[in-house]
Amino acid sequence: MPDIFLVTAALATATFGIRLFGFWLGRSIPAHGPWARALNALPGCLITALVAVLLVQGGPAEWIAATAAAITAYATRSLPLSMIAGIAVVLLARMYL
Amino acid sequence: MAHSTPPETGQLWSAVRNILPLAFGVATYGLAFGLLAAQAGMDGLQTGLMGTFVFAGSSQIVLVERLVAGAGAMTAVLAGVALNLRLLLITASLRDELSGRPLWQIVLGLHMATDENWALLHTARNQGRNVGYWYLVGGGLCLLVTWVTSTVIGANFARAFPDPQAIGMDFAFTAAFIALLRGLWRGATRDLAPWVVSAATAVIAVLLTPLDPSWALVIAGTVGAITAGIRPDA
Repeated sequence: MPDIFLVTAALATATFGIRLFGFWLGRSIPAHGPWARALNALPGCLITALVAVLLVQGGPAEWIAATAAAITAYATRSLPLSMIAGIAVVLLARMYL
Repeated sequence: MAHSTPPETGQLWSAVRNILPLAFGVATYGLAFGLLAAQAGMDGLQTGLMGTFVFAGSSQIVLVERLVAGAGAMTAVLAGVALNLRLLLITASLRDELSGRPLWQIVLGLHMATDENWALLHTARNQGRNVGYWYLVGGGLCLLVTWVTSTVIGANFARAFPDPQAIGMDFAFTAAFIALLRGLWRGATRDLAPWVVSAATAVIAVLLTPLDPSWALVIAGTVGAITAGIRPDA
């Protein structure tokens, strides 16, 4: 097993480097125009891509649970309720599918 | 007195309240990661230090899982780093929150930037709430305390807790991100095309190319954002 302190230092340094480089990238982008529109759209696009990747890696149980979470989010706009709905439905779906 | 609370403190506590359901999800993962860390021979101190200084849970899980699987240190670290590439896009979009602040606040804000509190910040902002830097930091601090505490507990007592997958908790973050998307939606004119392009790119990249999902994510998010950038009407 490699030295845990060494691998921790390596991952910590690289991770903070990525965070810092992203900040520098964001600062280099103009405040108006196409680049600013792209930067403003980035949160929604990245989270959409993340959900898409998670669902592709899942199966029918996850897809049904995602639908339940989406309906709950649409109806209630509540983060905790959507999480509870998703977790409950995924549990049931895995039991009965 | 209504004005005795500085807005910074108000934002900090508001973030802590709003992020609690997500912190609960983080805690279940922290316990599971602690068990993995124990299998890798890590003690409580090593686990706590890793959580504090890396503070990117999924990359820690991948790194330690690779080590337990017998991979070399370099391979394990690279797998963790690849998973963190998306942080590049996350901190890029924190420009307005961080610019013009003292160096220590920039460093703190960057280290506190994770998927959960960053998405929560943009969701709250999109719903018209006047929150910013301290909302991000408040959410981040709450997650940091939760992550470090739960991983250290897990490293010591993990066998007493159920596996997240057995209780459906592995789905907690998928559900949370779906709920946050509801708040990030700015209407079909601005978001429909970029989001469809993002999702389609992600699905195609994962299913039809040999790309690692970490790269697929970064490419899909970027392509979606570029779609928003080149459309003049939005």
